[in-house]
Amino acid sequence: MTLVRLREASFRYAGGHAPALDGISLDVLSGEVVALAGRPGSGTSTLLLVAGGYAPRLVGGTLTGERVIAATRPSVVFATPWTQLTGLCQTVFAEVAFGPASHGQERERIRATVARQLARLGVEHLASRDPATLSGGELQRVIVAAALALEPDLLLLDDPAAELDPDAADALYDLLRELAAAGTAVMVATPDTERAARAATRGIVLEAGRIVHDGAPAAMPA
Amino acid sequence: MSLRDLVLVRLGVAVNLVIGQIVAALLLPVFLDSVGTILVAALVGPRAAIAVGLTSQLLAAVLSGNFSWLPFGVVQIVIAVYAAGAARVGAFRRLRTALPAGLVLGALAGGTAAPIAYFVFGGATAGGVTAVTTALRALGAPLPVAVAVASLGTDLLDKTLAFGLVCLVLRNLPGHLAARFPALAT
Amino acid sequence: MIGFRPGASPLHRAHPYTPLAVAGALLCLVFAARTPAEVGALALAAVALAIVGGATGYVARPALMLALPTWLLLFVLHGVLGPDPHRAVGALQISEPGLAHALVLGGRITAILFAFLTVLATVSPARLVEAMTERGVSFAATYLLVSTLTVVPRLRARAAGILEAQQCRGLRLGGSPVARLAALGPLVLPLILGALAEVDEQVLALDTRGVTSGRVRTALDPPPDSAPEWALRWVCAVVVLGAWSSRLLDLLLTLGTRAQELGR
Repeated sequence: MTLVRLREASFRYAGGHAPALDGISLDVLSGEVVALAGRPGSGTSTLLLVAGGYAPRLVGGTLTGERVIAATRPSVVFATPWTQLTGLCQTVFAEVAFGPASHGQERERIRATVARQLARLGVEHLASRDPATLSGGELQRVIVAAALALEPDLLLLDDPAAELDPDAADALYDLLRELAAAGTAVMVATPDTERAARAATRGIVLEAGRIVHDGAPAAMPA
Repeated sequence: MSLRDLVLVRLGVAVNLVIGQIVAALLLPVFLDSVGTILVAALVGPRAAIAVGLTSQLLAAVLSGNFSWLPFGVVQIVIAVYAAGAARVGAFRRLRTALPAGLVLGALAGGTAAPIAYFVFGGATAGGVTAVTTALRALGAPLPVAVAVASLGTDLLDKTLAFGLVCLVLRNLPGHLAARFPALAT
Repeated sequence: MIGFRPGASPLHRAHPYTPLAVAGALLCLVFAARTPAEVGALALAAVALAIVGGATGYVARPALMLALPTWLLLFVLHGVLGPDPHRAVGALQISEPGLAHALVLGGRITAILFAFLTVLATVSPARLVEAMTERGVSFAATYLLVSTLTVVPRLRARAAGILEAQQCRGLRLGGSPVARLAALGPLVLPLILGALAEVDEQVLALDTRGVTSGRVRTALDPPPDSAPEWALRWVCAVVVLGAWSSRLLDLLLTLGTRAQELGR
C-alpha cells in the first residue's frame, strides 16, 4: 500500500532563497525502510516533514506539485530528544503514555501499549524515572517508544541514533526493520549511511533538494 | 491560540523567569522580568503576550514562594498591550526608537504598579523598591508620592533596557527564523 | 527549599482541588477583611492549614523569611511614620491607626504566604495534572502552568553555560555599570535565539503526540474525589461570596451616609 505519494513536489521555507526540496517524485510503501542521506542542508529533514504532512501545516512555507498522504497515523522522531519532551510528565511511563492519552484511548489499553513499547526499546526499568534526569541515549530511546506508542503506520526519524552508543544504535535499526516487517513504512534520515544501509530496503540520496540516487541502499555514498 | 503560539508563550515565560539570573550575575539594579513578555508581544501579538505576562507572574510566585506579588499581574497586561502596539508601529526596528519607547513603558508600568503597591500593600513590596519608599517617607515625602517615585525609578531603567534587548534580539534573528513571524513584516 | 514534599497528610491524600480551593478562599478573604482581628484569624487559619498538611516545618521558614522584612518595613512605614494619634511605647512614638493598618497588611501577606506555600508543599504536580486532565481543563492551560516549570531549569542551565563560555572568551562581569550593561547583550542574545530555534521541533513533537487531535485526553491515574471534599470546596466558595457581599454592602452604606452628610 502506498502511504505517501509525491509528484514533482517542491517546497520553499518562508524567506528561503532556494527551494529546500526541488521536484521530488517518490512513493513510500508500507513495509519499506527508506534511508535518506545527504549533506546538511540537502533537504533530508525537510523531506521527512513534507512526507509526514507537517510542512507547510506547522512550519510554514509553500509546497507545490502533488502530494497524497494516505498514512493516517504518522509519527516523527528528531535527533535532540530533550526538545521532544512534553514537559508535562513526571515519569517516563506518563511521557510514553502521553500520545495515546491525547487520542483518548482507554486507560487499560494505554497501560498495555506503554509497557510493550518500553520493553521493546529496553527501557522498562526507567518507567518511574523523571524524564529530565535521563541521559541523552536513555531519553532518545524513551522518545522512540513514545512515537511507537501511537502505533504509527508511517514512522519518520531524523538522525535518531545521534545520542545512542553503537550497540543501542544497532538495536534501533534492527527494530526499524522489525517494524517494517509488521507493515509500517519507515523513513530515516541519517548521516550514518553504513548502519542505515544494513537496515534499509531502499536508499535515497538528496543533493540541494533533488533526488540524485534512489535504489539499492548499499549504493549510497558513505 | 495555535500550538505554535502556545510554545512561544511558554518560551516567553521561561525567558522572563530565567533572565533574572543573568542580571543578578551582572549585579545590575534591574529585574528584566518582562523581556519574554515584550518579545512575544513583538513576535506574535498582544493576546499571547498577556498570557506570557500573567503566567510569568503566577509561576514567579510559585518558584519564589512570594505569593504577595500576584496583584502586580495587572502591570504585565499593560506591558503586553503597549509592547504589541509599539511593535506594530515599528518601534523595535532601531535602538533609537526602541529605547525611548521603553522609557515611556517604564512610566506607564511604574504608574500602574504604584497604586497597587500603595493600596494593596501600603507601600511594602519587593525589597529594593520598599527600601527606597521607606527612605523617601523618612525624609518627609507623603506615602503615595514615596511609593510612586520608588516604583517609577526602577521601572524606567528596567523597561528601557528590556526594549533595547528585544530590539537586539529581533535584529539578530536569522532570516529563516524571522520569516516565520508574520507580525515582524509589518 | 520551596516545592512539593511527598507525605501522607490529609492534604496530600485529598483531591488536589481541595487544598487549592481552601488557599484560594483564604486569598479572597484576607482582602475582604478590614480589622487586625479578622486578618489575624485568617492568618491563624492559614497556619492551621500548614499544620493539617504536616508541612509546618517546610512552610514556616520561607513564609517567615519572606514576611519578616515586610513586617519590619510596615512597622516603620505605618507604625512609626503613620498618622496621629501617637502613643509612647518605650522610646518610640507609635501611631495607633498606623499600627492597626500595619497589622492588617502584614497579616494578609503572612496568611497568603502560609496558605500557598502549604499548597505547594502538599499538592503533587503530577496529581494536579491528572486532576486537571480528568476535569477537562484545556491542554493549553495545563501546558503553560506545568510544562514551563520543567523548561526553566533547562534554560537556567543553558544560561549558566553561556555565562561560563563568554567568560572564557574574555567577557568581564565586573567593572563599571556601563561595562556590565554592555555584557548583557552577549549573554541574553544567545539564550533567546537558541530557544527560538527550538520552537519548531517542540511544536512538531507536541503535534505528533496528538495534542491537536481534538479528542478528550484520557487521565491515566485520576485522583479520587469525595462528597465531603466536594462540599468543603462549595463551602469555601459560599463563604468568599458572603464575605465580599457584606463588604460591598458596607461600602455602599458608607457611601450613602457620606452622600447624605454632604447633602445636608
